[in-house]
Amino acid sequence: MDQDFSKPQKQSATGVIIMFANSLQKLIRALTLPMIFILVKSKGSYGIGLILGISLMTLIILAVYAWLSYQRFNFFLDEDKQEFVVNEGVFNKSTLTIQLNKIQQVNINQSLLQQIIGIYSLDIDTAGSEKKEASIKAIDHLTATRLKQRLLSDRDEAAALNQTDENDFLPSASSVKTMLKLSNATLLKVGITSNYGASILLLMGFIFGLIQFFKDYATAFKVETNDIYSTVSQGFGFISVCFFIAFALIIVLTTNIVRTFIRYFQFKILRQQAALAISSGLFTRKNTLVTPRKVQLSAYSQNYFQKKLGILNIKVKQAAYDTADEEESKKSHIEIPGCSDRERDDILKMIYTLIPAKGKALIPNYRFLFLQVMLKIMIPAVLFSWLALVVYRPLQSYLALLIPYAILVFILLYFEYTHHRLYATQGFIVKKSGIWDIEEEIIETHKIQAITSKQYFWHKKADVGHLLLHTAAGVIHFKYGNYSQINNLVNYWLYQLESTKKDWI
Amino acid sequence: MQEFTNDPIDISLLPQFQEVRLNALSPKYWKVVCINMAIFTTITAIGMTTLLLFSADIKAYAYIIIGTYFLLITLMVIFNRTALSRRGFAVREKDIVYRHGLIAISTTIIPFSRIQHIALDEGFFSRMYRLGQLRIFTAGGHSGSLHIPGIEIEEARQIKELLMKQISLLD
Repeated sequence: MDQDFSKPQKQSATGVIIMFANSLQKLIRALTLPMIFILVKSKGSYGIGLILGISLMTLIILAVYAWLSYQRFNFFLDEDKQEFVVNEGVFNKSTLTIQLNKIQQVNINQSLLQQIIGIYSLDIDTAGSEKKEASIKAIDHLTATRLKQRLLSDRDEAAALNQTDENDFLPSASSVKTMLKLSNATLLKVGITSNYGASILLLMGFIFGLIQFFKDYATAFKVETNDIYSTVSQGFGFISVCFFIAFALIIVLTTNIVRTFIRYFQFKILRQQAALAISSGLFTRKNTLVTPRKVQLSAYSQNYFQKKLGILNIKVKQAAYDTADEEESKKSHIEIPGCSDRERDDILKMIYTLIPAKGKALIPNYRFLFLQVMLKIMIPAVLFSWLALVVYRPLQSYLALLIPYAILVFILLYFEYTHHRLYATQGFIVKKSGIWDIEEEIIETHKIQAITSKQYFWHKKADVGHLLLHTAAGVIHFKYGNYSQINNLVNYWLYQLESTKKDWI
Repeated sequence: MQEFTNDPIDISLLPQFQEVRLNALSPKYWKVVCINMAIFTTITAIGMTTLLLFSADIKAYAYIIIGTYFLLITLMVIFNRTALSRRGFAVREKDIVYRHGLIAISTTIIPFSRIQHIALDEGFFSRMYRLGQLRIFTAGGHSGSLHIPGIEIEEARQIKELLMKQISLLD
């Protein structure tokens, strides 16, 4: 028998318990620390009595609140408009409306407490964002399954159509073609040249340890000053510095190589008609399917060494679409290491049917550097000088270090500035960025979800502004561009987005 | 065969989002902001007074603390007022435009075809002034969604209906 969902209905009456438990849990999390604090501060029975009293009061308030939220929570299905509506809130009322055809997934779950009282929760998911859009916390199993059926009845027809083209991706001997296979030599190259961020941090740690070690050494020798000893120690010191640096490098490189091998061992891309099947891994083989239609953003990056070795890393981000759990949604982000230029072009062609042209670059204003220099050089320098000159004198001997620091940071910032570019061409947007690893992110215009253009009020005269392109795979941020140029592009993209029939998924 | 044209596009002739006349938020929304600020001020003032009364060490700095406090409150009022005057929204034929911000003024545009779902909130104080907040979600996650507060509840409902209609028409 069909249940009528068109009238607003409440959750199962036992839902009150769930709501109570939920708010209690939140409250306990928020109040444990202050409570312990009060207990410790006010010794004796007086404090405990007070706490008991307050706890009892809050429990009663929570119970009333839970009952009220149960009363105010209702949901219904608007058949005419094909909408699912959820009303909730005690003090702040909220009405959530979801178009039925936007619903990607309905999950029925049961937590431990829900198991005890024999109810279920029903979560509704739309495409793209990672969080659940609507959630009914207490519903009996029959209602839940019926509601799920009703909510998805629309989609199932569409899914049936989709299913046929998913089937096309199943390997049939004739259509499968190996596109890319990584040899162990390539993996070694990847391992040696990637993850410098972590490596540099590790090295820094080593160097700081080393400096400390030297200082202890030096003070130890000051006690029994002896020229011969000190020259010996200097020679020894130099050798040990070299030794330590070499040691650190070896450790960093081996971990990188081992990591790369575990993740990408026997990396293989098979081309199956309209999709790419990717498999890799040493201990567990990971299999992923890339469907061009679902790709939201792709990026490739290369650093100086990788350029010399002729390899680059590709990242492909797909929309987390009909994925049931988080493990699945992680699968939708794929990394392809160690490609050659030609292989990159093949993959891009596969995804976009053509290689995105770059066209004319938008170049950021010099103010891009100005703020960064202020934040990362001037302010730290002033702070450090103040500390060294006024607060803690012994730091004065390190003041000279500010000069190499400023030079190094400025060089890095300058690199960042010269690499910050935006290219807009017919149907594509490419953003280049990076200091050491230079990355180019590619999106198709019709994958944009929303556009923000932003300007600080003191930049009005200079006509400088920022651009944010929101996609289902993250934000593309172009800073300090020519604001009129940015606004022109925004209008052009909006025109393209709103005149095309192409959907983003 | 349908008439087919493929003329070059003159970007300057495209509709310009930056020239759209935006609707300001309801003037009543300022009252809601004021209530919120008043509550905040009362709570922090009570906290400060108890601190000043019970801790002798802090008492010595009482004037400085009270002075800074009043300065901060004044700044809060001014900032909220300016931020409010900068906010505005407009519903165009094919998208919705929202401008907001204090030191950085952002304009966000969401095409109807990218809207995933919509929520209409009525806060406790907003309800007293018959105001509502529209929340418009896209697949772009938190950053790609809009929160427009301080719209007359009737108008908010109309906009919501209109948007929902547009979404279903597009599919």
